Amino acid sequence: MTDAAAAEPADDQGQTRDLSNARDMIVCEEVSKWYGDFRALDKISTTIKEQEVVVVLGPSGSGKSTWIRCINRLEIHQEGRIVVDDVELTNDLRNIEQVRSEVGMVFQQFNLFPHLKVIDNVSLAPIWVRKKPRAEAEEQAMAQLERVGIPEQAHKYPGQLSGGQQQRVAIARALAMEPKIMLFDEVTSALDPEMVKEVLDIMKTLALSGMTMMVVTHEMGFAKEVADRIIFMEEGQIVEQGTPTHFFENPTEDRTKLFLSQIL
Amino acid sequence: MSEFAGLGANLGMSTGMIPITAPPETPKLPPREWVKANLFSSPFNSVLTVVASIIILAITRGLMSFIFNPQRQWDATATNLRLLMTQAYPEEQYLRIWIATAVVFTLTGLSLAVWRAGSAVPLSDVGRRLLTFGGTIALLVLLAPFSVRATIIWLVVAVAVAGGGEALRRLVDDERTMSTLGILLIGLSGLVGSLWVIPYGNHTFQLHRTPRVLAEPGTVALTTKLPWTVMLLVAVAAYFLGIFIRERLPTNAPRITLLLLWLLMPPTLLYLVLRDPSFDMGHVLGTDIPIFLVYAVLGGALLNWLARPSTGEIGRIVAALVLVAAFAAFLTPMRMIVRLDMLVLAAFALAAPTFSGGPRARKNYVIGWLGFLGIMSWLVTAINTPSTVKVPGQFFIGGLSLTLIVAVFTIVISFPLGLALALARTSNMPIFRLLATWFIEFVRGVPMITILIFFSIMVPLFLPPGMHLGEVAAVIIGYSLFSAAYLAENVRGGLQSVTRGQHEAAEAVGMTTSQKTVFIVLPQALRISIPPLVGHCIGVFKETSLLAIIGLFDVLFIARSVMPNQTEFMGSTKENVLFVSLIYWIFCYQMSKASQRLERRTGLGER
Ligand SMILES: Nc1ncnc2c1ncn2[C@@H]1O[C@H](COP(=O)(O)OP(=O)(O)O)[C@@H](O)[C@H]1O
Ligand SMILES: [Mg+2]
Repeated sequence: MTDAAAAEPADDQGQTRDLSNARDMIVCEEVSKWYGDFRALDKISTTIKEQEVVVVLGPSGSGKSTWIRCINRLEIHQEGRIVVDDVELTNDLRNIEQVRSEVGMVFQQFNLFPHLKVIDNVSLAPIWVRKKPRAEAEEQAMAQLERVGIPEQAHKYPGQLSGGQQQRVAIARALAMEPKIMLFDEVTSALDPEMVKEVLDIMKTLALSGMTMMVVTHEMGFAKEVADRIIFMEEGQIVEQGTPTHFFENPTEDRTKLFLSQIL
Repeated sequence: MSEFAGLGANLGMSTGMIPITAPPETPKLPPREWVKANLFSSPFNSVLTVVASIIILAITRGLMSFIFNPQRQWDATATNLRLLMTQAYPEEQYLRIWIATAVVFTLTGLSLAVWRAGSAVPLSDVGRRLLTFGGTIALLVLLAPFSVRATIIWLVVAVAVAGGGEALRRLVDDERTMSTLGILLIGLSGLVGSLWVIPYGNHTFQLHRTPRVLAEPGTVALTTKLPWTVMLLVAVAAYFLGIFIRERLPTNAPRITLLLLWLLMPPTLLYLVLRDPSFDMGHVLGTDIPIFLVYAVLGGALLNWLARPSTGEIGRIVAALVLVAAFAAFLTPMRMIVRLDMLVLAAFALAAPTFSGGPRARKNYVIGWLGFLGIMSWLVTAINTPSTVKVPGQFFIGGLSLTLIVAVFTIVISFPLGLALALARTSNMPIFRLLATWFIEFVRGVPMITILIFFSIMVPLFLPPGMHLGEVAAVIIGYSLFSAAYLAENVRGGLQSVTRGQHEAAEAVGMTTSQKTVFIVLPQALRISIPPLVGHCIGVFKETSLLAIIGLFDVLFIARSVMPNQTEFMGSTKENVLFVSLIYWIFCYQMSKASQRLERRTGLGER
């Protein structure tokens, strides 16, 4: 069911991008998760291809965060299989560390390390996880900070930056690990409106550069413009998925229609 | 150090732009208006101010009449200063103590320069302080039961100080500043200089001499004033040496060297003061050095291999095997040093993946191992060698020295121990959690005295003959364990305050648990725990006064029991205890100030 949807995605120019021959980056097979008796994920199955940009929509509490966090094992799924870049997520610590160093994640609350300067926030993991020499890691950290447009803030502490700048540092921190996949969980929800655009612009550029991305967001404009595929979730299930055109113009499911009518 | 310079905890992330420049200072009110606004703003406030002032004046007056009552036997304190400081330390060995003090002063001077301590204060501020100081002296003099002559002399002094302050305040323009270190130097020079000119008197008390009490008028004995003068000069010289180093070398190397020196200082000085081992060179060459070399070469090679990123999983297995071997070593008879070396090697092997990396990282790691191994071998060899320092009685050190030795060592040892306990108690591994919880709950459920008594009986049984440190070592071990349990609970509070988001962010970039702990969690947790940790250190320092119960002569015990027993000074307890309180207060207040400064400095990240 998934490949059909992925077969005709559209990029922001409205042209279709054929990713059907691309490699499978993330494979979820009947993934389920419970919190106590509460079923947060209900047999999620889908495949995300290399370079694909997937936007996950859904009402609050529908399990979007839970799912995206399962993919780098911040949450542990209880049934089904998750395979990331050909490595299956099990309790084996080595697999988890390998997957995490290849999957970048950006959080709603930024979660920068407040006791470290911006440059150290970005270069810490390359130095200690990737084992790069400090000079090289700092040089690359500066390059990432330039990429997100704030090299001049490198020697400040996170608390001295605006929310938008902090979130850009968080993106740079994830990118510094040279990940193959980037996960974004409502990264603009905690930002003041005037700062949302600066963060979304960086994500757009990133998508165009060919990064595989999974984005949970409420920014419909971003979803329409950038997504190859939109996945709509409710109550832990995937209700509907398809290209932005399909999803926004003629959704098939009633629950999708209801959601869209509330949000648009 | 720079990693720890900003352990801020910006836990509630704010999204708005935070102003980086400081807000404009509120203009200072002139004294008269300040008083009006703060002390007499309403009828109730005025009554409160008047009543409080009367109470404070009455208390001060009581205290002054107590201190300066002619019946007070301050001679007892003055004559027994040496007893209070070091108890029965042999006089002809005092050079050791002075050298130890000089080392501390040298390190302090160097550190002040290398870390650019001190700041500039406007001279007008200094003037204001002097004015207040002079006023306080005048007030105290008027409240004290002095003779007319003394009152007049002291009033003149007070007026001179206050006048100098007022002159500074009025005549010097606001721009002129002075370094706080300069002020400190002037103050200390004044104190040391006064030893040479003011007739404090030349006091000693010596048990084995008649007359036992020596209390001559005149300036302080040369054996006291000369060393203190040298100490001051040493500190100043060290400071300028530090500036020289600071200007010519990159920042980090001297700082790291100094930190290491500070860490090595306490055991080295303890050694210098208390021991003078007569090494059996045959044993050293034939046993100790070969053991060291074997561990240095084989252990170094093993660690170099383990720290190679390509070693992978097999490395963890090998490290685990080393740990098993280390535990097994304790079940079979062999030299203690072999077992200890094995245990430390196992710790290094287990930590190797965390610090693995290129040739440079590996070289540093192996050097770390060699350094650790060298120091440990030296300490064990030295401790196991009898001392040639001939001393009277069993405990030849006491007084303030003993109090400081026990307090410093207990704090230094219990710190890593407490951290480890706190981490174990919050870890995901049930075994660690269980052991740590049991240990903490057990220790917290037992009075400290019982632990001290238990260790003072048990530990000497394990020490070689000829060691004079039996009781002191026992006390330090027992006290450290006790203190670690409480310290662990303080740190645990800090650990819990680190948000889940911080853990997740560290995990999401692929850090291992130990990397996350060292780089992300601990710095933030310790920042939060500074106030309770310093409070704990102050408690440890003060509770060394319990050492008297197991027969050690701490400074308070000497003051309350030893000196009043000298026939010359019967009933001098009150004076002695007041004096000792002052000593305790000075140390504790400094710790408290240091804590505030540390908080302010590490709060950098919060802005
Ligand atoms: N740690 C947790 N314990 C219990 N329930 C949780 C936990 N985390 C999330 N949930 C529940 O799981 C559901 C899905 O949550 P989440 O994935 O955060 O939703 P979304 O991100 O779509 O808003 C919610 O009903 C939430 O209450
Ligand atoms: Mg969510």
